[in-house]
Amino acid sequence: MHRLIRDHLEEVIAGLQSAPVEKHLSECDECRDEVTGMREHAALLQVLRTPPAVEVSIEQRPGFYARVMDRIEAQTPASIWRGFFESAFGRRIAIASLALAVLFGVYMVTSEQTDQIVTATQTNQVLAGPIPGEDEPGLVLAPAGTPGGQPDDDAVLANLVTYQEQ
Amino acid sequence: MDHKNSEEAALVRRVQARDELAFRELVERHQSKVFSIIYGILRNHNDAEDIAQQVFAKVYFSIRNFDFRSSLLTWIYKITVNECYDYLRKKRVRKLVYESDFSQEDAQRMEASEPAVDQSVAADTSLAQRDLVAKLLEKVSPEDRNLILLKEVEGHSVEELAAMTGLNENTIKVKLFRTRQKLLKAAQRLGRVRATLK
Repeated sequence: MHRLIRDHLEEVIAGLQSAPVEKHLSECDECRDEVTGMREHAALLQVLRTPPAVEVSIEQRPGFYARVMDRIEAQTPASIWRGFFESAFGRRIAIASLALAVLFGVYMVTSEQTDQIVTATQTNQVLAGPIPGEDEPGLVLAPAGTPGGQPDDDAVLANLVTYQEQ
Repeated sequence: MDHKNSEEAALVRRVQARDELAFRELVERHQSKVFSIIYGILRNHNDAEDIAQQVFAKVYFSIRNFDFRSSLLTWIYKITVNECYDYLRKKRVRKLVYESDFSQEDAQRMEASEPAVDQSVAADTSLAQRDLVAKLLEKVSPEDRNLILLKEVEGHSVEELAAMTGLNENTIKVKLFRTRQKLLKAAQRLGRVRATLK
């Protein structure tokens, strides 16, 4: 199809054509054939128009919205949580589970902190030297023979191992 | 046209926020148009009801993806036409399945029981025309199909289509031209197939 016709195709199909377009169509078989076919199709598509009388009868159908909502509900994907939150029993179970989880969490956090405090205290005691009132040679952290009175690392580790074994 | 700041956009935002009253308003505002489009394509009241329900269910589930680039009606129109063509495709598949179960003997018995003269030639012609239109429109993309239907069936102008779709007028003209050409070629191919079958 030539550009002149292509640029004005919508007007040509609607039957609004200018003199140059008409002249070209009278001279060009290819464009004329294509335009004729396109016009026929445009007319053929009119069979899809709904008659006004039918439009009126369609508008009077009651309860359509309710049926749409029923369909939406039927198509809503089911969730495992839905059952929980929709019944009173399910809600109670959910709340009880949540409370239990919180209590367990609190217990875990506090017991972990207590363990850390105990471990830290014991380590400090070991590092600080013999526990007062106890006469255990293995707990002495400053072994004899260290030059300048500095604690020897190997000796400290050996003492710790002995302490753990006791 | 600004689709984001209209009264319709406010309604869409309420529906996107799952406001049921707003959704009801949307359904009531567009239901007759949707029915009319479906009936235009299928010519069947019962199927129209079923498909219209499915159209609004789709609108409900996908309205959060509506980006205001086109008008709401154009968007609903697109869903409706696509739903009709899905339905026609499924129906054709079902029909093929039934026909494959239909024996030669059954066909002969049925032919013998049918009246010799057609009851309504006009109705047959209209049916054949709609069948041809459906076959031709299946050959173009859903987007092109919507555009040509909005132009030729709904009677919108190129300017209106540009405003409705958010595309510029030249793009609309080019798309329409290509769609018309595809329809012509599809019709020629169908004609050749029919001629070979005769």
